[in-house]
Order: sequence, then structure tokens, then C-alpha cells
Amino acid sequence: MRAPLGRYVVRRLLYALPTLLGVTLAVFLLVRLIPGDPARLIAGLLASDDEVQRLRVELGLDRPMPEQYARFLASVLAGNFGLSAVTRTPVIEEIGIRMRATLTLAVTSTALAVAAGLSAGVLAAAYHNTAVDYAVMMAALGGVSIPVFWLGIMLMLLFAVHLHWVPAGGTGTPAHLILPAVTLAAFSTAIVARMTRGSLLETLNLDFVRTARAKGMGEGAVIIRHALRNALIPVVTVVGLQFGTLLGGAVLTETTFAWPGLGRLLVSAITARDYPVIQGIVIVFAAMFVVVNLVTDLLYVAVDPRIRYG
Amino acid sequence: MRRISAWVLLAASVLVAVPTAAGQAQPPPKTLRIAVGIDADTLDPAGQTTTTVANMVDYIYETLLRPDYARGTVAPQLATSWTVSRDGLTYTFRLRGGVTFQDGTPFDADAVKFTFERLLDPKTRVPLRFLVDAIKEVQVLDALTARFVLSRPSPMLLSNLTYTTTAILSPAAAAKIGAANLVRDATAAGTGPYLFKEWVRGTSILVTRNPAYWGKAPAFDEVMFRVVPDAGTRETMLLAGDVHMAMLPPAPDVRRLRENPNVTLVQAPTDRVIFIGLNTQWGPLRDARVRQAFNYAVNKGAILSSVLFDLGTVVDSPCPAGMFGYGPVQAGGWPFNPIKAKQLLAEAGYPSGFEVTFFTPTGRYIQDFQVAQAVAAQLRNVGIRASVSTMEWPSYVAEITAPPERTRLQMFVLGWAWVVLDCDGVLFGQFHSSQHPPRGLAPAFYANAEVDSWLDEARTTVDVEKRKTLYHEAQQRIWNDAPWIFLWAQKWYVATVKNLVGVSITPIEKWDAIYATWK
Repeated sequence: MRAPLGRYVVRRLLYALPTLLGVTLAVFLLVRLIPGDPARLIAGLLASDDEVQRLRVELGLDRPMPEQYARFLASVLAGNFGLSAVTRTPVIEEIGIRMRATLTLAVTSTALAVAAGLSAGVLAAAYHNTAVDYAVMMAALGGVSIPVFWLGIMLMLLFAVHLHWVPAGGTGTPAHLILPAVTLAAFSTAIVARMTRGSLLETLNLDFVRTARAKGMGEGAVIIRHALRNALIPVVTVVGLQFGTLLGGAVLTETTFAWPGLGRLLVSAITARDYPVIQGIVIVFAAMFVVVNLVTDLLYVAVDPRIRYG
Repeated sequence: MRRISAWVLLAASVLVAVPTAAGQAQPPPKTLRIAVGIDADTLDPAGQTTTTVANMVDYIYETLLRPDYARGTVAPQLATSWTVSRDGLTYTFRLRGGVTFQDGTPFDADAVKFTFERLLDPKTRVPLRFLVDAIKEVQVLDALTARFVLSRPSPMLLSNLTYTTTAILSPAAAAKIGAANLVRDATAAGTGPYLFKEWVRGTSILVTRNPAYWGKAPAFDEVMFRVVPDAGTRETMLLAGDVHMAMLPPAPDVRRLRENPNVTLVQAPTDRVIFIGLNTQWGPLRDARVRQAFNYAVNKGAILSSVLFDLGTVVDSPCPAGMFGYGPVQAGGWPFNPIKAKQLLAEAGYPSGFEVTFFTPTGRYIQDFQVAQAVAAQLRNVGIRASVSTMEWPSYVAEITAPPERTRLQMFVLGWAWVVLDCDGVLFGQFHSSQHPPRGLAPAFYANAEVDSWLDEARTTVDVEKRKTLYHEAQQRIWNDAPWIFLWAQKWYVATVKNLVGVSITPIEKWDAIYATWK
């Protein structure tokens, strides 16, 4: 089992290489297709044409496209993605600074979403068609429909301005993490809860559950030990996808809470047409998505021993 | 992100009903916390492009001269006195003695020479190099006397030497930090009242009081600039007491903040003139009567109070008040007179108006998109059918820098501000024919040979009175030719907690809070 799994992982990672190469070409072309001259945007409106031209040369934007792409690929292979056009800092360093903030927020809110979403989903399924079920589903509907910036501002007004329990925005202490994590988790929690409920309800109708009940097992044990485990596969898929999305930077939440994550860096890089930073972030996102998907697939094995890779 | 401010507005009742901690009796904080809208792009004075970033850099570095806004002139800072030769080609500065850089090395003429040679070196990134590009050479006469030799007369030079770009660096500290790192490290490199401590990218910049500062010591031990991109969040953080001052909270909330007993709203007019450019080389807009009709058709005062929450002052000249050379042309601006507008349109051969496209950015200037919609509605009353469209800022910049043969511009919203208070910035930058895109950024494509010659002469003569006369003539002519719908000079504002006093706003969109105190 061990060897084939290892081979499977290596093969999946190798498959990712052409994907990532495609991503480099796509992002390289896309940033250059959108209107906006990086040199003018960075130098500002007041800069003279000469300075803008000088900056264009400094940034290598006067070089032919194939040469620019080759330089970009070389910087990817070198692992630093080149220098930010704005700050002249290695892009990998700019990304590294924000990566911690993004990871902290993504992991915390995913953990919250899994804990709250699973519990709520199980409760809703266990008390199917009762007030509990309806309440959970209503809350979940709210979770998927409320825009995060509105939810964020409301939470801030209540817990920061009104009650003074937590700071409104920024970073520094663990307390700073609470509001953005809760805001960001709202949507994922709702998705996980709905998925858990639906999947569990299906499983509860299967024969082996009837058998478990027939042998006199308590309803709680039936649900947790037998049904839930079998209902988890779609939930794991959803959590993996959600986590991948969150790693891609939760732009609105990061902006609302002044959270210094990758999403905000990407937006500000796009606004400045900082090509190297945009390219670097998109590649990092693509790579992270590949890894998260792989981990999700591997988790299937843990959840369902019938699944084999190799 | 704009929608957030609308939501904040919706939440107004909640906010008003809620007592906040901001403003309650508190001991003075050790660290003054200021929420700014953008992160720094560079801490290097030479690389400055944005006034908010320059504002933070001003805590660390100082210039030879400082602007005296009250008197409309320049005042001593690191230079105590200066003389200008009759031909305007030699400037001799007497430097302040006994000043040391934060690294302990003395501030002297060598440092001045080092700083300006670095600014003139093409290898240094200096977007605003035009401020100093008349300087040919800097000579050290003695330890405290420096002489600038110019290649051409530059009557704006003294004003230019007040801007952050020209701040003096310690040669020793600069060598220690390294040329490539001055972008992100300013450790002990300036003479300013605060020392650079830390820049956490995307989060904050921290400065601490300079114990060896030559001037008056500021009140706060530390100042932290917190990067908070969303205006609604800046306001919320102020109300929650997370920060003591927030720049530019959402404009629709300004009235309520003024009424909030725990908050002070500090606002002041600036030199940023907001206008609607008219492409003077496009179709019906080639006719000055049509452009004048547009000016008559728009009720600036009404838009200012209903859409802009009074965050502006209607301009009465192409060059806003407070600049050197400013001369009011028409009190109260072009009068609102739709009847006259229709009459002019009829005279020009457009009795039933015409269609025109109208571009505006969104969120770049206060209420810009809303202003464009209001203007379009008023133009419709005189038969002009303007269709408003907006785009993100980088694409917008691509539109306004397109050359005349490719431009899609017919009408467009733009704001123009200069970093020093001299009419040259707006008049030459916007109305001299050499500044048409793509060379410059004068997308109204206004061209008038006489105006060109006045503006050329005004930027090369050192005769102060002559310059004023030339600018007055130019303002009169441009005003009547109406290449813009002249709107207003925008105000700039910050909100502070009530305890913080002594904060002011400068005419170049900076806050001045170095000597703010806690009460």
C-alpha cells in the first residue's frame, strides 16, 4: 500500500508541472492584455514622460515579449519570481510576508467552519424535519447569502465599537483574528452544514444503518460511528475546495479587516500593474491549489478505506 | 469596495445610538495610532509619488525649506537663509548649524551635495525629478554653505525644495543601508523628529521619537501608521478606539462625524482641482461656445452640497486659490444659467444638443462617479445627452494618456494637484500644448499659442511680479476658452478622537500632526 501511494503522489505532482507551466503563460499574457501601463502607474500622473520611459527600461518592459517571458520563467525557476516593480523587493519575500497572515486566517476559519458546520449538519440530520433542522437550514441560508463585507462591518460595529470585546481591524494579537475568522467562516460553515446534513440523511436510509439500529445500538452511536463516517466523503471534498479558495486570499474580508493577506497584495498589485507580483502570486495560488486537491484526495483514503490509489 | 461605505451609511442609526469609548477621558497614549489608506511603496524620499506616503516619510526626513502655507511662501528648515543671484542661476544656502542626523553624523553641505547628486543621478528612481532637474551642480563652499548652480532659471526651485523628494539623507546612513535598500529601510538616515523603527509590509509603519532632534520635541513617544485600505473600516476603527486618527473616512459619513461629540473632523481646502475635461479637438467641443454652454449648464454649488457633502470649494479660476500666481477670474465660478447655455448651443449650431461619451473613474476623487451622474443629468436639461461610463483606475490612466489620434475621450472627470503651491503645476501641466498626451497629461488637448508663450515665460523668468502678470493673463484666457467644466478645489480631511488636538490639514493633501497633543 505504501509504495503505490508514494508513487501516486509523485505522479500527481509531476502532472502538476504542465499545469503550472500553462499558468505561467496564461498569467503572463493576461496581465499584459489588460489596459494600463505599469511604468506610468508606478511613476504617477505628475512624472514626466522621460521618467516614465526610464522606468519602463528599468522594468524591462521595453524588451520583446518572448524575452520578457523567458526572463519571467527564469525567475520562476530561480524561485524568487523576480523583483516587485513597485518596491524592488524580491516577489517571493513580498509573498512570504503575507503568506503567514493568509494561512493563519484560512486555517482558523476552516477549522471553525468544520467544527460548526459538521455539528450543525449532524444536528439538522438527526432532528430531521423538526424546528432544529429548520433553524440550522435558515442559518445556513443566511451564511451563504450575507455578503462578507456587510457581515464584517456589522460584527465590527457590535463587537468592536459597541461592546469593545475585540479590536475592529488590523493584526497583532490573537484577538485581532476573531472577527475576520468568524466572518470568513460564515460562508464555509453554511456550505459544510448543508453538505453534512444532505449526505448524512442519505446515508441514514442505507441498509447498514438499519442493521446497526436493529442490533440495538443507540441512535447517537449509529449516527456518529457509522453513518457520519460514511457520509464524510462529499464533506471532505467541499472543505478541501473551500480551503483552497480561502488560501487564494479572501480579498473582501482582508480588505474589510485590514488583514495583510495575499488577496489584498494581489489586488494592490493589480491596481499598480505590478506584473512580477501578480505573476508570482497567481503561480503560488495555483501550486497551493494543486497541493490542497492532492491532500483532499489522500484524505479520502483515511475516511474510506475502500478507496485505493496506485 | 465602494459599496461598503453605503452599508456603513445604512448602519448609521446603529452607530449614532451607540456610545463609544473614543473621547472618554483617557491618559495620553504612548503611541499615537493613525489609520492611513495605503501602504508605503517606498520610504526613499527620492522615490516619492504619493502625498500620503510622503507624509509618513516627513516624520523621518526633512527638507532644506518648508512651506509656510499661511504666508504663501517658503520658510527656513534645514537651511536658515539663502540668496539668489540676479540671473536666477545661482542659489546659495546657509545651513542650520548643530544639526546631526539620527545616526550621529553632522548635517552639513556634504550631505546636501550627496543628496542632490543622488537625485540627479539617472540610476536613482526619481519620479518627480522635474522638481530638481534645473540644477546642474551642487558646490560645497564651506561646511555650512552649499551653492546650487542651475542650467536654466527655475523660479519654482525654492518651492520645489520644500517637497519630500528633496529631503536630505545622511551619506553615512545611506551607505550603511545600501542604495537598493533605501526603499524599505530608513534607519537613522534623516534629521527628522522621529526615527524609523519598523515597517511591516501591508500592516504598519512605526516611528519613535528622535531624542536628539534639533527642533521642538513632539508630544508622542511613538507614532504608528496602520494600513487600512477600506474607508469604512478606518472610520469604525476610530470609533472603536483602535486608532486615534483616520484619514478620509467615507465622505457620506462626514456630516455625522462632525456631529459626533467624541470625534473631531479636521478639513481644509487643497490645491486639488476637480474638473471635467472637454476634448477641445473632438466634434462639437471644438467650438468654445459649446464648452461655455457646458459650464453654464452645470450647477456646481448644488452638486457640491448635495453630492459632495460640501467637501470642496467652487473654483473661480483654472488655478486654485492659495497658489503662487493665482488670480480669481469670475467670482463664484461660471454662473448656473441653462437658458444661456441653450442659447449658446443654438448659436453654435446645436439647438437640439448632441450625444457625448463621458468617462469617470470611481473612488479616485471624492464622489467622482456620483458627480459625473449629476453633471450628466444637468446637461440633459440643455439637450446634451452624455452617457457616463466608468472603469478601474489603471485602465482610466490608459485612456487619459492616449495620443490625440487614438483617444476615445470626449468628456472626462479628472483631478489635478501639484506638490508645491505654484500655478505652474496646473497651468503648464494642463494647458500647455507640449503637455498633450502621450508626452504629458493634458487630455483636453487645449492649444493656444499665446497661452503657451505666457506659460513658457512664466517658468523661466525670475521676476516675481512679471510671473504673476503672466499667470493672470493665462488664467483669464483659459477660463474664457473653457477647455474644462470648472468644478471645485477638493477638501482633504481626517477624523480624530476628541482628545487629540493640534492636527491640521495642509493644502497639498497632507495632515500635519507632528506637534499634536493629548488633552
